[in-house]
Amino acid sequence: MIVTAGWYMTLAAILFLIGAGGLLLRRNALVMFMSVELMLNAVNLTFVAAARAHGDIGGQMAVLFVLVVAAAEVAVGLAIIVSIFRSRRTASVDELSELSG
Amino acid sequence: MTGVSYLAVAPEIILTAGAVVVLMVDVFARPSSRVHGWLVSATYALVAIAIGFQWRRVGIDGTGVSFGGTLLLNHLSVTVRAILLVAAVLGTAAAWRMLVGLRRRAAEGLALIMVATVGFMLMGASADLVMTFVALEVGSIALYVLAGIMRSSPAGDEAAMKYFLLGAFASAIFIYGGALVYAATGSTNVNEIAAHLSAVHVARPAVLLIGVGLIVVGLGFKVTAAPFHSWAPDVYQGAPSGVVGFMAAVAKIGGFAALINILTGGFERYSGAWGDGLALVAAVSVVLGTLLAIQQSDVRRMLAYSGVAHAGFILTGLAAGLVGSSGVLFYLATYSVMVVGAFAAVTAVSGQTNTGSSFEEYRGLARRSPVVAAVLATLMIAMSGMPLTTGFIGKFQVFTSAWESGYEWLVITGLLASVAAFFFYLRLVVVMYFGGEEGDGTTLVVAPSIRWVLVVSAGASVVLGVFPSPLLDVLNRAGG
Repeated sequence: MIVTAGWYMTLAAILFLIGAGGLLLRRNALVMFMSVELMLNAVNLTFVAAARAHGDIGGQMAVLFVLVVAAAEVAVGLAIIVSIFRSRRTASVDELSELSG
Repeated sequence: MTGVSYLAVAPEIILTAGAVVVLMVDVFARPSSRVHGWLVSATYALVAIAIGFQWRRVGIDGTGVSFGGTLLLNHLSVTVRAILLVAAVLGTAAAWRMLVGLRRRAAEGLALIMVATVGFMLMGASADLVMTFVALEVGSIALYVLAGIMRSSPAGDEAAMKYFLLGAFASAIFIYGGALVYAATGSTNVNEIAAHLSAVHVARPAVLLIGVGLIVVGLGFKVTAAPFHSWAPDVYQGAPSGVVGFMAAVAKIGGFAALINILTGGFERYSGAWGDGLALVAAVSVVLGTLLAIQQSDVRRMLAYSGVAHAGFILTGLAAGLVGSSGVLFYLATYSVMVVGAFAAVTAVSGQTNTGSSFEEYRGLARRSPVVAAVLATLMIAMSGMPLTTGFIGKFQVFTSAWESGYEWLVITGLLASVAAFFFYLRLVVVMYFGGEEGDGTTLVVAPSIRWVLVVSAGASVVLGVFPSPLLDVLNRAGG
């Protein structure tokens, strides 16, 4: 059995769905944030597999940009979560209910 | 043509340099707010000059492509920059009092506004999905921080967190769509995608279709199109009112510019398919936004849901494809001015950071501050699309192009929703003028910078509504 790029892309799609499901179902801000990172890594896997299939360097370049953006998101996201945790002693989004209507 | 053209990114370079200068001067000289004001004004003036040069260059040379085909220099991208610059100038003025109140962190806020503008400007010029993604994140991450810039306010924290989690989710969806399009076509460049689609039969059309769909969903989050709008009311309510207008305006401008670039640039061949998809999202946004706005008792949430409806109207023009894009640009330009003005009025009434802005606070506003009441009433009437205002011209433009493209049902839905929307826009006007005496009845003190924003936005909404042709001529060149 030959493992083609399609297998990797299928795996990536499953990872992406797990990430999306985690973001929608979990209630802890940190876990939700990890789910976003999982989704971005699924994107990276898709890019690399497709780049390999097309014999094109562009997809591998894209991965670098996605990684940089993910790092920038971590910096800002963790700062926001820490700021919330300091003022409320919780990272659960269910406790965040000042705003509604 | 594919080399490096510094003119193509001149406004972005100037804005980035301006942001760095503001931060550095703040660190080393601890200047007064007056110095910050001069630095920011000088930066915006230079950006305006650079945009003028770009417009002239495009008029002479036509569309320019640079940085390996990732950035376009055409009338559309220059127009989007100009609209963003107007939003940034008005937004900075509206946020001025709040930022000065932050004292040592005022420079951070100013720099963040400039960086966000850079990101969304690049989105409007981008011809590459990865470039669009990076630009989207540059703008969005700056906006997440702006939403939480009042660290002492719990509601601000909460708004920042909600905006961040859903924004990051949307960005991941967008770039996964980009990855699937890359898998199906072998390129992330929209022009190469278009060339590939016209030359080769796509082996896996389902992958391409899902990819384009995810791109639209990802950008739909950013422009608060229903059903991807759930974050907007919370964020608009919780973020400091000084910056909400700016956030609402620039995210919409950048998102719609990217949609125009990607859909008409890369997937023009399939305009029938995505046109129908956008028409569906437009109808849902218009109906849901209007119905939910009617139920609100908070002005900020009402404006957020009205923003959802406005996103639907803009999508109505976009569904018509390239013929609709000049109407889309007109709508974007005028809506951003209106929304920045409306939130400036909210800031004037409810204070810089107050999280609640219930209709009660606006009772009898006409007596407490005739100017703010008159401006807010003008803006509400313009947003509702009454004739002799920009709102009417904008709706007329998008409805005409949608009707000509065969989306009659969408135009009728939009017209019905516009009529229903009169209810909640005029309710605020009625509360302000005929609501009776409530509160302490003292006169409202309005900061000069906010008064300036109010007068400019209301004035522009009326003047451009009566004499729209100069702006329309310019935008027709950009859209055509």
